[in-house]
This record gives sequence, C-alpha cells and structure tokens, in this order.
Amino acid sequence: MILEQNNVQTYGSGARTLVFAHGYGCDQNMWRPVADAMADRYRVVLFDYIGFGQSDLSAYASDKYATLQDYATDVIKIARELELQNAVFVGHSVSAMIGALASISAPDLFDDLIMVGPSPYYMKDGDYNGGFSPAEIEEMLEFLDHNHLGWSQAMAPAIMGNTDRPELGETLTNSFCATDPQVARDFAKVTFLSDCRDKLPEVKARTLILQCVDDIIAPEHVGAYVHANIAGSTFKVLDASGHCPNLSAPHQVTAAIEAFL
Amino acid sequence: MSARADLFDLFNEAPCGFISVCPKGLIVRINRTLAEWLGKTPEDLMDTPFRDLLSVGGRMAYETHIRPLLRMQGFVHEVSFDLLGAEETRVPFIANVSERRDADGGVLSYRFALFKSQDRRLYEKTLLEARKAAEAEVERERQTALLRDQFIAVLGHDLRNPLAAIVSGIRIMKRRSTLTERDIMMLDEMTKSAWRAEHLIKDVLDLARGTLGDGLVLQCELATNLPEVLGQVVEEIRLGAPGRTINADLNIDRHVFCDSERVGQLLSNLLANAITHGDPAREINVSATLDDDLFTLSVENFGDPIPDDLRENLFQPFFRGNVRERREGLGLGLFIVSEIGKAHGGQVAVDSTDQGTRFYLKMPRLAKETAAEA
Repeated sequence: MILEQNNVQTYGSGARTLVFAHGYGCDQNMWRPVADAMADRYRVVLFDYIGFGQSDLSAYASDKYATLQDYATDVIKIARELELQNAVFVGHSVSAMIGALASISAPDLFDDLIMVGPSPYYMKDGDYNGGFSPAEIEEMLEFLDHNHLGWSQAMAPAIMGNTDRPELGETLTNSFCATDPQVARDFAKVTFLSDCRDKLPEVKARTLILQCVDDIIAPEHVGAYVHANIAGSTFKVLDASGHCPNLSAPHQVTAAIEAFL
Repeated sequence: MSARADLFDLFNEAPCGFISVCPKGLIVRINRTLAEWLGKTPEDLMDTPFRDLLSVGGRMAYETHIRPLLRMQGFVHEVSFDLLGAEETRVPFIANVSERRDADGGVLSYRFALFKSQDRRLYEKTLLEARKAAEAEVERERQTALLRDQFIAVLGHDLRNPLAAIVSGIRIMKRRSTLTERDIMMLDEMTKSAWRAEHLIKDVLDLARGTLGDGLVLQCELATNLPEVLGQVVEEIRLGAPGRTINADLNIDRHVFCDSERVGQLLSNLLANAITHGDPAREINVSATLDDDLFTLSVENFGDPIPDDLRENLFQPFFRGNVRERREGLGLGLFIVSEIGKAHGGQVAVDSTDQGTRFYLKMPRLAKETAAEA
C-alpha cells in the first residue's frame, strides 16, 4: 500500500541499500542520474513524497502533512515495508532534514545519512542567516501560482520523447515538477518555515554533507552550520554551482557518496 | 545591408528579448530590445550574473523549479516571471528557455527568448484574483447557509417550548369563573396571537427544511385519517377565530395517497390566509371533493379581489402583498402551501374575482405506483 502510494521504485543490487529522497520542487527523477550510476553496486530506492510526482494524491491532506516529521514518518514506513537495515539515506534539500528526523526517530534503519544542500532553517534569525524572509517565500509561491509548470496539462499531456536523455524515457512535459498548487503551497510552508536546528545534535548516523558553491537556497555557511552541529559529520564542497548537483554534477555526487561509504 | 548585418540587426532589434547565459551563470549575450525594456544598455548587462536580474523569490523559483526542469527535459516553455529593471522596477515576461548541450550532455549555455507581458500578466492576475474571490465567496456562502439552517432549526425548536407553556397557561386561566368579559376577550386575543406565533414558527422551520435542506420530505401513505385531520384543522381555526363563520363540506369517502399531516398544514395555512384577507362579515367555505383520479381541496373567502400584479408572486417565499398593512406573518404561508402541493405531484392555484377568492389544491388521488397496485 505505502509502496504504491509513494510510487516507490526499487532496482539494482548490492550489499547496501541507498534510499534517495527528492527535495522541494520536483520529484524522484531528480535522483535518476545518480541512482542509475550506482545501481550496479547498490540496491537503490526512489520514491515521491505524497502530493508529488506520481504519488497517490488522494492520500494527501493539508493537515496530514503539516510538519517535516509527517514526511519523515512516511520515510520510516517505506523503510520498514522494505525491511531495510543499516541502509543509507540520501536526501536532497529539505529531504536532508527529513532524513535527519527519520534517523532520530528510527535509528536502526539508516547507518549513514547523506545530506545534499541541507538547511535546518531557511529564515533569518539573529546571528543565524538562513537566507530568506517570509515575503520572499510568498513571492516564490506567487511564481508558482502563475506557473503551474505542467500541472494543469497533467490530464491532457503532450508526450515528448527524450531523444537526447533516453534514460528518462517518455514522459510528460514539465511533469517532473508538476505539483498541485495547493500542495506546492503547503510544502513550501513546511519546508521553509520549519526550524530543525535543535534536532541536529540528536543525529547519531554517520553524516556526509555535500555542499555546492553559489547555492542561494542553501548557502555554504548554512552547510557549515549543519556540519558544526552534527558530531563527527563530514563536510565536502563540490565543484558545482546551484542547488541541484544531483542533476548538474551527478558524477561528482556519485563519487563523493562512494568515497564516504 | 549585408546578410550578416541583417542577422545581427534582427538579433538586436527583434520585437522580443534574447539572452544567452553561460554555465557559470553570467550573461554572455543580450539584445538591445531586452536591455531597453529593462532600462539599460546591452553593455551594462554583459558579463553580469543573470540571477541579479531576478528578485530573491524569483531566484528561489528558478533554482527549485526552472533549472531542474531544464536539466531534465532540456527546455521550459511559457514560463512567466519578472526581471528587475532600472531602479528595482519589475518587468513581467513570458519566456521560453532552452539548455544548449555538448555531445556529452554538458551545459554549453542557457538561452532565453522573452516577451514583455505587462497587459497579459495583469489579465492573468485579475483572473486569478477573481477565481480566489469566487472560491472564498462559495465557501462563505456554504458556511452561512449551514449556520442559518442550524440557527433556524434551533430557534424554531426553542421558541416552541415557551409558546406551549403560554398556551396551556391561557387554557387554565380561561376555566376560572371569576373572569370579566374584558378578561375573556383578552384571553381570546392572546390565544389568537399564540396560535399565529405557532404557525410562523412552523412556516420558518419548513422553509429551512424546504429551501435550505433537501426539500419538503413527505411521509405518504393511503391515508385513512384525512377527514379527521382536516376536520380538526377547521375546528382549531374556528377556536382561534371566534366570530368568524367557517363552513366545511368535506366529501372524502375514499382513501387518498398523501401525507395527511401536510395536507392538514396546507388547509390550515389557506384558512389563516382567508381569515386575514377575507371580509370579516362574510363566511369562509372549505370544500373537499374526490373522484377516481383527483383530490381537490379549496378554501373560499369574500374579500377584495387580489390585484393581477400581485397574483404572480403570491407563492414566492417572503412575499407580502401590500393589500393591507397588518401584522401579518412572514409571507411564507402560501409558499409552503404551494410546496406541499408540488411535493404531492399536484398544484395550488387561485381564482380571484369580485365574486370571491378561491385557493385550491388539485392533486392525484393516488400516486402512480399506488394506482397501478389498486
């Protein structure tokens, strides 16, 4: 049930299992380049959070997914259903914190935690500068109100062939980031207004933080803050710019994860 | 102009904007049209970071949605966003963006074609706001209707109890032997008022159920008690209106498929109406007739005829003719009469002339399925 609801995809084989979790905006396809590259050495698990990608939208309710812990609970359910032990959780963006919460709640599931572009809090607060103000978050949401990015076409899609990126297969225009506007709004609130700073010291899993240069969503000093607050964590700056190295520099991400494991 | 110069001119002066951004995010080409829309020159913007043209919220959207999409599908079309012009003004655009790649899939550049969309954005914004307002309005209406429904139901229920106490109090007082004529008159008036209040409450409750809820619900059966129910109604009204003559001619020798309580309520409302509007010096005639197919119930009074322009709206809720300024009810009586008629598959109509005013219900004696059984 949960495996269908969250559109869980499992493939590859190896002694260890990697669970890849997408961040704010798009869906599990964000992890395809990295997951595909590792599938011959690891068992890989991809999934969509409820409300995103090909998940079961009917399972979504605003009050059911009102905190990051609610999403972490789904991660734990998926991991239990797959009977994972000593697995590796790889979370991009907000999923880094969802992974931290899941590993705190269920320490037996994940031995290693890989955080790609993490931020425990996106707002400014005293000495801590998460980068944004509520008005700026609202402005991003306005952008989403004006750009459904394939959402409204989701029912009558134009099929396009990915001749130059065949690994994506045939898929719908913009569908990777097509999200119900209300879900996008809710998740933005949960993502950008949640404060996980207190939770970082509770993380006991071996943690790797992968940081991009020039990432405006999760700037380097925020990554360094996460590193300083998780005991024994490793901090690695990638030679990649922007917020999505899993897409823009998949080889580097793959190499960094393997070196750490 | 040489072909090359013409091409260059087309790039620079095209009626849309062009930008090319290198993988590091710097603007490496920009045409004059776009620069001018932003209140700058191409030279001002060359080699500056593209993201400086975006507001903070715009950058967030670009990083979390547009760039991933570009990587995954190679293009994003018809995306709507603002660029920052001179002095932080915002210029709205519609853009197509594509990612130019080398043989290995690496990014060579991002290319943007942009159309200024001031009017279109305004139009979309208006549509969005109208939709939000409409959605909010519908929700508000729904809440209000729910609240009104509950309010009316509770009010009706709570009003009935004190009224019942008043009525039984009056009845007990009337049994005393020491009453003066004036006392009796006052008690009669009080009875009438209480009776009228009881009817108003009943009407309001029916309105709440009928128009706000699921319509009038009937409990129909082959009624054996219809003559008794109608007889009682006439009796009650007689008690409530001493001094008025009410003749009743009820020829009901067969069973009628109906909700007899509702038909009783219909008669009660028509009689109340006749007492209010009829000539007090003249009688009121109630008549019920039956044939194989049709049940007819009529109430006749001898007041002034109803003007034509009022007649059309008689059966609308909250309609009160301006015939006479009186302390009438809410204008629900005839509406409910009409609703009861309709619910029985029949109808209520009125004839009104100098010779008198006659309201009548005509309805099938048996419902279709019952007729088949019989």
